[in-house]
Amino acid sequence: MPARFAVSSPRVLFQARGLRKRYRLGEVTIEALRGLDLDVDRGELVVIAGPSGSGKTSLLNLLGGLDEPDEGSVLFAGAPLRSLTAAEKTRMRRRQLGFVFQAFNLLPVLSAFENVEYPLWIDGVPREERRRRAEEALADVGLGDRLRHRPDQLSGGERQRVALARALVHEPLAVLADEPTANLDSRTAESIVDLLARVNAERGTTFLFATHDPAIVDRAPRTIRLADGRVVDGGAR
Amino acid sequence: MKFALIALRNLARHRRRTLLSMLVVAAGAIAVILTAGFVRFSFEGLREAIIHGGLGHLELTPAKTAGPTGPDRAAPPAFADWARVRAAAEATPHVLAAGAALYLTGVASKDDRSAAFVGVALEPDRERRMSLEVKLRGGANLSDSPPPAGEDQVLLGVGLARALGASPGDVVTVTAMTADGTLNALDTRVAGLVTSGLQELDARLLKTHLATGQRLLGTDRVSSIVVGLDDTARTEEAGDALARRLRDGSAEPLVITDWRARAPFYGQVRALYSGIFWFLGGIVFVLVCLATSNTLLMSVMERVREFGTLLAIGTSRGQVALMVVLEALWLGLAGGLAGDVLAALLVAAINRAGIEMPPPPGAAAGFPLQLAVRPADFVAVVGLMVLVLAVASVLPALRSVRLRIVDALGHV
Repeated sequence: MPARFAVSSPRVLFQARGLRKRYRLGEVTIEALRGLDLDVDRGELVVIAGPSGSGKTSLLNLLGGLDEPDEGSVLFAGAPLRSLTAAEKTRMRRRQLGFVFQAFNLLPVLSAFENVEYPLWIDGVPREERRRRAEEALADVGLGDRLRHRPDQLSGGERQRVALARALVHEPLAVLADEPTANLDSRTAESIVDLLARVNAERGTTFLFATHDPAIVDRAPRTIRLADGRVVDGGAR
Repeated sequence: MKFALIALRNLARHRRRTLLSMLVVAAGAIAVILTAGFVRFSFEGLREAIIHGGLGHLELTPAKTAGPTGPDRAAPPAFADWARVRAAAEATPHVLAAGAALYLTGVASKDDRSAAFVGVALEPDRERRMSLEVKLRGGANLSDSPPPAGEDQVLLGVGLARALGASPGDVVTVTAMTADGTLNALDTRVAGLVTSGLQELDARLLKTHLATGQRLLGTDRVSSIVVGLDDTARTEEAGDALARRLRDGSAEPLVITDWRARAPFYGQVRALYSGIFWFLGGIVFVLVCLATSNTLLMSVMERVREFGTLLAIGTSRGQVALMVVLEALWLGLAGGLAGDVLAALLVAAINRAGIEMPPPPGAAAGFPLQLAVRPADFVAVVGLMVLVLAVASVLPALRSVRLRIVDALGHV
């Protein structure tokens, strides 16, 4: 099916049309996304909600350039991801996107400071600037006093804050967070959501936030609901 | 720099596994150093045994009796101007001494026993100054001064003495063909018994004073002049200097042959030992490579999700591969250095232990094992181990760069 693009407004950061994604598990083919359309504006905080297997992670993977759709296309900041080379996608993820994962995914051999500094380092940011920005990012998430701690010396909530600081330190256009609160208790989860909302409000960073936690969905300014690989509510405007 | 640090910390993460891998690398390094030390000891021992066993470093021969491996020993002695050339040679830098040599063949007899001999007449005092070794197995060496007629002495190889039933003090009649083609015989007294280190040669060996040799062959000429140097490494330099010095001063054209050309056996042994060394080195290379490659691959497979995260947040695939390769290089460096330390201790222990090696094929006596290890060996083996690990890391690095990000992130 050919992609059906609307004329992309400068306000639109992500635009997906006709996204289809299938996975093979042995003899079985699973259709994770079945022709999904979506628009997300710059500065939005969008929760992608749905039960397990509804396609949330697959959608985030395609929007973040981590995977290729079988059909359909994604525009990011007006650029079709399909036209980017692997190196250009790597650069896009390094400079314009931030990622937060359910299991935190911090490098265990690096301290909190070094984990946050890492994206700046691979992007060639000078040492002094790296230091200043990494310290600021950690202070912003309330971990200014945990710079030298390794991930195994931090609580789950603290690790996710470090992951968030790592996702924000290079000032990306958007942060894609896949179930970032799933491994946290409700109070810690709430504090993380507060943090995301604050950063969104203060900096205008776009957040796409996959969850199936109803308490968090209720607080979202916009929710896109998925079921069986389709948007059932809140997709294209 | 940062990737090197991360790689180092990743190694520290699994201390036991890293230590085991380091031990594998260290064992490889030790094997290479010990083998290199043994092979070099063999080369050096054989080289010095050949040189100091009587060959000397250089030999000056008249062109008309010179062959590719030194003088033609069957030719009549042709060196007339030898005393002046010997003096010129001894005035050359790094020359310890130069001594005339007269090669002779004939028959030695005692009572009703006779045996063919291959002999050399030489100057014992100069032989000593050249540090040419006389391995006495009984009796005494030849006297330094030329013996008067009727008091000629010989040294017999132990095998030849056995064949003749001769002991020190016995009289042996030596018969040889003179330069003009007639037979001549001399009664000589056996001064001592010697060994060359080679059983076949000991069965034929006869040594005597130059004056006795000249008397036997009825000549005042010699076959060649043997030159001994203060350092084998200076053979080529001294040969060039000698050639320059003799170019204008010698009445007859001379050929200078170095010890290596006169001992093709050395080249053959060296080639054989080198082949064995490289074969063993190849086995060590492959074994260390396989063992560490498996460990590195295991380490990559355990960190699939980590690599997925690195790729997701913008690390290039080349940088991920670099991280894996750097881990391998650290392992090679650390294992190589550990191997150096252990090998140094082992070499010291072995050299102190005075382990007696059995006689090599054809040799009459064994020798104490001394591993000849050089400081450069320790540096080279670290470089080698780093190279081995670099090769071993190719497969794990390829595995890491071929990961699909989404699969890696979902890896449990």
